[in-house]
This record gives sequence, structure tokens and C-alpha cells, in this order.
Amino acid sequence: MEEYAREPCPWRIVDDCGGAFAMGAIGGSLFQAIKGFRNAPAGMSHRFTGSLTAIKARAPVIGGQFAVWGGLFSTIDCTLIKIRGKEDPWNAIISGAATGGILAARSGVGAMAGSALIGGVLLAMIEGVGIMFSRLAADQFRPLSPDEQIQMMRQQDPNNPNLFPNPLNGSESSYQNA
Amino acid sequence: MEKAEGSSLKSLLGFYSPSYAPDDPSMNVSVYSSGISKLSPYLNVDPYINQEPEYILPEGANRQRGRFEFAFGTIGSGVMVGGAFGGINGLYTGIKATQGMTGNVRRTQLINYVSKTGASSANALGVIAVMYSGFGCFLSWYRDTDDDTNTLAAATATGLLYKSSAGLKRSAIGGGIGLALSAAYCLWRRGDKEGRSIVNYVGSRHTSSY
Repeated sequence: MEEYAREPCPWRIVDDCGGAFAMGAIGGSLFQAIKGFRNAPAGMSHRFTGSLTAIKARAPVIGGQFAVWGGLFSTIDCTLIKIRGKEDPWNAIISGAATGGILAARSGVGAMAGSALIGGVLLAMIEGVGIMFSRLAADQFRPLSPDEQIQMMRQQDPNNPNLFPNPLNGSESSYQNA
Repeated sequence: MEKAEGSSLKSLLGFYSPSYAPDDPSMNVSVYSSGISKLSPYLNVDPYINQEPEYILPEGANRQRGRFEFAFGTIGSGVMVGGAFGGINGLYTGIKATQGMTGNVRRTQLINYVSKTGASSANALGVIAVMYSGFGCFLSWYRDTDDDTNTLAAATATGLLYKSSAGLKRSAIGGGIGLALSAAYCLWRRGDKEGRSIVNYVGSRHTSSY
């Protein structure tokens, strides 16, 4: 995963669509395997057959639904980036809500509003967690000021002759008097 | 004050014959204006603290992009190409099948033809791409190289797996198709190295160590 950066904008749609399809197909396979196993008649061979049948029948469809979601989301995201001229969490939240709304368009206005709300909240949560993680990760690499560096070195080796005396522990410094 | 006596004498000598070395007392100039108030925190650094050289090493930059970075793009293109071809195919079939209908009925039927055929072929191609990418990622991780052997093996395994539930013979046929397609792809890409391929003009996204 090292140096994995997102693709630039038009290609990002393909990437997101593929990522969503893979997620849906693999996750759908797992869930359908369990579901087919439970719904099949008794007997291990029946159960495994039922599991396989359920995977074959449903996993690609679930993957396809995910892919439509991901592709539409990314398309709206790229459009918003172009229109607004910036990339921020609001793009993702707005496109999540819009995607939910558009995909529920055939079920009526109420369903559209509900789906849009769910999409927006979901994406807001995802963005929030992402921001939180990047804050935590970035704090590890926070640049230290020279003061802090010297403090750290003093803690590691208090008798380091290369370090100047601590100015906070009093103004009496041998160098000043020299 | 008392412990400053020795260094005071040394510094007096140092001013007569400066060596400008780190132990030269004349280099020990205070950066404090008076007491606690500093001129600048950045002046409070002895440049001799960090004696070892500091380089930015290009670690991690020597490798080409691996299969995992391309996996999602591959799957996404598979889904989109499958959807587009399936949609066109569905439109063609739909127009032929709804010859006798008119108006709303025909339009709805056409939409259904396009969306159903498009979705099913998009899903089929997407699943094949997921299998291929999964096998490719696994092989390049397991063998720790990324070469044509991976491509051939991943494509063959994909064909075998995709048709695995349709019987041994069909599974073998699927594997054969995968092998043939990937062999054609590898030959096409090999022309890339000799500069005869269209890949050179499209952009060399797929680079591997031959």
C-alpha cells in the first residue's frame, strides 16, 4: 500500500467504481455464503451447494449495486471539485447525499430524502474518521522546535557538553560570563 | 561565577589565537540578550549537535507501482466496459425484439433491455476482473516479483475458477481462454519493449521487469 495516492479526477471514477465493486462482490460473497448455508436443506453437501448457488446468484449483483454507488458518487465528487474549485469533506458529504437521493429517485420523494440523509450522514462519518486518523498520524511526525529538540536531548543525556545551559533554570550561564 | 574562572582564562587566550573550532572559547558567544529573554529560539542551537549527515534516502521509491495499485482501476474498467457493451447489445436486442410495439410500452421495454443486459454483463466482467486482480495480487505478493508468469497464471486461474461450477470440461475451456487471452496480452506488451507497440503512444502504465 505504500505511496498509494488517489488517481487524478476523471480516472478516479473508474478507480472508485472498481473499489466499490470489489468491496461489494467480496463482502457479498461472504454474506451470501452464510445466508445460502443457513437457508439450504439439512446435510452438508446440500448446505455447501446452497452456499455456492447463493454466491453465484447474488454476489455479482451486490457488487454491481456497490459499483453504481461508487461510480455515481465519484462522478458527482469530481463535478463538485470542478465547480467549487476545492477538495474538502463537504464535497464527499454533498455527493454522498446526492448519490443516495438519485439512486432512490424512482421510489418517491420521501424515499429520496431518506436515502439522501443516510448517504450524507454516512459520508460525513467516513470523512470524520478519516480526518481523525490523519490528525493522529500527523501528530507523530510533528516537527520539533529547536527548544524541544534540546529538551529531548537533555532528557536523554543530562551531561551532554554540547548543550547550552537551560535558560529557564536561571540566568547564570558560564558562557555569558566568559 | 567560580566555575567560570577557568573558561574565562581560556577565552582570554582564545581571543589572541582563535582556532574557530568547537572547543574555541571565542566561539561560545551567548545568544541570550539578558537572563530569560532570548533573541530567538532558533539561535539557541549548537550546530555541532547533529554531527552525523542527514540525507533523504529514496527508500520505497525504487519500485514500480504494483498490481494492487492497478487492481481497482482494472475492476472499474471491467465493470464500465461490460456495462457499455452490454447496454449497446441490449439496445440492439431490444430494438429487434420490440418491432411490433409503439410508444410508452416500447420505450419501457427498451430501457429494461438496456439496463438488464448492461447490468448483467457489467457484473460478469467485474467478477472476472475481481478474480484476476485477486490472483494477480496474490501471485505477485507470494512470488515477490511481477512478471509475465503472474499474468498468465492469474488469467488461467481466473478462467478455471469462473467456470468451475459448470463442470470439469467447461472449467478447462475457461482456463484455456484465460491463458490464450493473457498470452496475447503478454505478446502485445512485449512489443512495447521493442518500441513497436501502441502502448508507447498510449502511455506506459504497465511496466514490468522482463
